Amino acid sequence: MAAKRRRDVLPDYMDGYVHVNTMANFLMRRALLDAVRVPAGVRAMSELAKIGNREWVGYGFNGQPNYVDRPDFPLPAVRFHPDTPDIKVLREKEKGDWRKLTIEEKKALYRASFCQTFAEFQAPTGEWKGIMGWSLILASLSVWIYMAMKLFVYNPIPESMSEENQKAQLKRMLDLKVNPVDGLASKWDYENNRWKRWIGAMAAAWARVDKM
Amino acid sequence: MLRSVTGNLANVLKRSLAPTVRVSAIAQVRRAHGGPVESDEEFDCRYEAFFNRTDIDGWEIRKGMNDLCGMDLVPDPKIIKAALHACRRVNDYALAVRFIEACKDKCGPKVGEIYPYIIQEIKPTLTELGIDTPEELGYDKPELALESVYEM
Repeated sequence: MAAKRRRDVLPDYMDGYVHVNTMANFLMRRALLDAVRVPAGVRAMSELAKIGNREWVGYGFNGQPNYVDRPDFPLPAVRFHPDTPDIKVLREKEKGDWRKLTIEEKKALYRASFCQTFAEFQAPTGEWKGIMGWSLILASLSVWIYMAMKLFVYNPIPESMSEENQKAQLKRMLDLKVNPVDGLASKWDYENNRWKRWIGAMAAAWARVDKM
Repeated sequence: MLRSVTGNLANVLKRSLAPTVRVSAIAQVRRAHGGPVESDEEFDCRYEAFFNRTDIDGWEIRKGMNDLCGMDLVPDPKIIKAALHACRRVNDYALAVRFIEACKDKCGPKVGEIYPYIIQEIKPTLTELGIDTPEELGYDKPELALESVYEM
């Protein structure tokens, strides 16, 4: 209807375009539909081939005929066991009074529909122990590698790292008045030639901590 | 003229992606927050009525139960009772036991308070239909172990 109305509005020389327009519209729609549409049931059929003669009884968690024991979707799409003759006999009996079923029959019915109970699939596996152990072994391996590097690869640390040389370096930095506003030199009392009082108190405190 | 052709093309694309009729139909639907909120009683009654339907089949029962288990709640005993009766109507004993197990799992850390209450409430239905609780079947503790698929 929209095209018709437009044809009235458009000038005569646009007639051809209107015709092309409707044709293109049709082709475009066909192409889009073909691209989007998946033949019905193709995926379901391939899944169906896998479940054998198990009964497909529900939606499950994604609409496919599959079985997973999961607490958020406790009822899977297919029964766990295929329909064997003895289970068929049980199912006939199930149609009668449930109070007449024995405990064994009830359990057999449960296991025909489900693989594991909640208690079973939520039971701890103990897997964390292996994961923990292997992580600690690998972490300690890196320490072994570091020690080997220290022993066989690295050179000894440079002489300038010795205490004597470090003290000499500190002395020279104070002589040069390094960072006098709020850095190293600002903490040195140049008149009395010692650390400022509060630095001394702090050093004493640290010395006490070291002794403890 | 070129401009009119490109304009036509754009219209073709637009119309083939979303037919105008359908767009106007969608616009009618109210999509806003603050709509009517369902009360807890209404929710319970809705699900009870769902499970009480006489023509319900196993597929719908499972869908209802799975939906309930996906929500942030523990199903009310009257929903559970209706669900157990529905299981009886479709003759699926395992489904009933599994749903009780699932409801127990929904209790989470408060299983010690809520689960005994549920059992106490649904006990008449259990005895009437002859359903055993998971505890009576020995399913509160792991019974069988699965062979690892990597060691078969």
